[in-house]
Amino acid sequence: MNDTPLIRLTDVSKVYHLESGDFTALNHISLDINEGEFVALMGPSGSGKSTMMNQLGILDVPTTGEIFIDGKNVANMTNLERTHMRRDTIGYVFQKFYLIPLLSAYENVEYPLILKYKKRDSTGRAAAVLKSVGFDEEMSAHRPSQLSGGQQQRVAIARALVNDPKILLCDEPTGNLDRKTGFQIMEILVGLNKEGKTVILVTHDPKIAEYAHRTIQLEDGRVVGS
Amino acid sequence: MKDIFFDLSVRSVRLNFLRSLLASIGIVIGVVAISSMGMLGTNMQLMVKDQLTTGINIITVTPDVVRAEPGSSVSSSNEITEIQLRDIRDAAGINEVIPIDRTNTQFSIGSNDGRGSIYGLDPDDIKNIMNVSEGSTLRGESDAIVGATIANRFNLKIGTRIKIGEPNVSVTRPVIRVVGILSSAGLSSSNGINTDNAIIVSDTWYTSQFGGGNEYDQVNVYLKDVSTLTAVEDAIDKKVNRNKEVVRISDSSSRITSVSSTLSSLTTFILAIGSISLLVAATSIFNVMMMSVSERVQEIGILLSIGTEKGEIRRMFLYEAFILGIIGAVIGGIMSVIIGYSVVSAMIGNTAYFFLPESIVYIPGGMLIGMLVCIVSGLYPAWRASNMDPIDALRAE
Repeated sequence: MNDTPLIRLTDVSKVYHLESGDFTALNHISLDINEGEFVALMGPSGSGKSTMMNQLGILDVPTTGEIFIDGKNVANMTNLERTHMRRDTIGYVFQKFYLIPLLSAYENVEYPLILKYKKRDSTGRAAAVLKSVGFDEEMSAHRPSQLSGGQQQRVAIARALVNDPKILLCDEPTGNLDRKTGFQIMEILVGLNKEGKTVILVTHDPKIAEYAHRTIQLEDGRVVGS
Repeated sequence: MKDIFFDLSVRSVRLNFLRSLLASIGIVIGVVAISSMGMLGTNMQLMVKDQLTTGINIITVTPDVVRAEPGSSVSSSNEITEIQLRDIRDAAGINEVIPIDRTNTQFSIGSNDGRGSIYGLDPDDIKNIMNVSEGSTLRGESDAIVGATIANRFNLKIGTRIKIGEPNVSVTRPVIRVVGILSSAGLSSSNGINTDNAIIVSDTWYTSQFGGGNEYDQVNVYLKDVSTLTAVEDAIDKKVNRNKEVVRISDSSSRITSVSSTLSSLTTFILAIGSISLLVAATSIFNVMMMSVSERVQEIGILLSIGTEKGEIRRMFLYEAFILGIIGAVIGGIMSVIIGYSVVSAMIGNTAYFFLPESIVYIPGGMLIGMLVCIVSGLYPAWRASNMDPIDALRAE
């Protein structure tokens, strides 16, 4: 671990210009997240959690302020560079899994490898990552629609991990799962964090947030507790 | 290596098989329309051209129109003279030169009166350039051969007698006897004379009746090698028209050019009509591609959010358009052979030219255009997909 934070937000605001007037989703937020941290983002609906995740996942850019990820200022990056950072440095796990319906479980995991290396995986990496998240190998050929929620989320985590990203962004990863499966998924995330991944997790559930080292409380687009 | 984006496109087409097939049918119809129409036009052109080129090896030399000079004592006769004929023969070299007398006259067959051309030729020349389908060629002095149309119209038989000249009670009209009937020449006059409506007699009988010995109305030069056409025409022109324009030299190449150009315009026109169906097909492909993009908004959002490049998303949708194009073009190509052949056979009645390269090329041509139309129709949907905002796309249900 070095001293430069893996993620640094400096006075970040995000304002949406709506017909009803301007809406400030993030209001002058400054925070650092270090490599290897496990951070939970909590807050009521509309507090800015999703906007924050979009900023951290560089799906969006701030209206004002600066975001540094892995030492790079997001605002100064080209579209293609951001795309490559999403592919190589960040792994995204969604509440609704968001697997590609036309691809099998294995192909979903293999997909980011193909994006990165422009060829099919012959190293066995995709299969190994699937196995590491406890996914049954026999189910690899199944399409997402043929899998249970827990299985789909394991595939989604494997997909997020396959390019060995530094950051794992998890947007309510247990939100669509039953409690038992939810805890199983959390165990996987804890394990990954122990292996060195920086995990940022959005959750409503205080029980889930307990897995994190640090909880950041958001309200009306501001950090009210950290 | 199989491209995963191509795989995704194939799966998307398979998933919406019926819709994709219906869109491809538009392309099938378009390809069949332009291929069949193109082949129909080309086959028509080839056939007509072939018919016209049967007489292309003939140069026709006719007297030029003479301007009467007031007060001039020189009377210029409007005929080709024996001297000019000799010059033509000299210039024509090894090619056969046939002088022809021609006039328009009235005639009577039994109680029926008619009017037509009467040609006077050397009986030996007649044998060389005319095709007698019934009876024989000229033997006696007052024998005649008649064209197919005139024979048919007046119900002429071998042995029928024809009185030449205007009916006049005070004068006995000369009589000729039909000894042969020519086969129909139609559009393709292979001897440079429009014989279908003509009566052909010997040159001696002709001059005995109409005068003009040693003068001719027309001289035909039959080329042994059609590539020498211009050279021989130039030679005749130089020799006969050396002082002033006394004969007019013509051939059928200009007629072929003009008919070919008309037919070519006609082909373009029917091709344009065929292309309308491709426009309709383009709309249908565009519609299907837009539907595919709208239905897969969330999927596009996922792909973008996990690091898929815009160009890769574009490629995925263009592949889909390409697959629809390939399906349409291949089925269209196969059907074009069948339908095109049937159309050509039904409308022209001759499929001899169908498999010639200039005709069959319309099938790959049509297929290529069909595929291009598909890809062009997919450009905008692909562009739209690749430029979506991943956050909005992910939110879409």
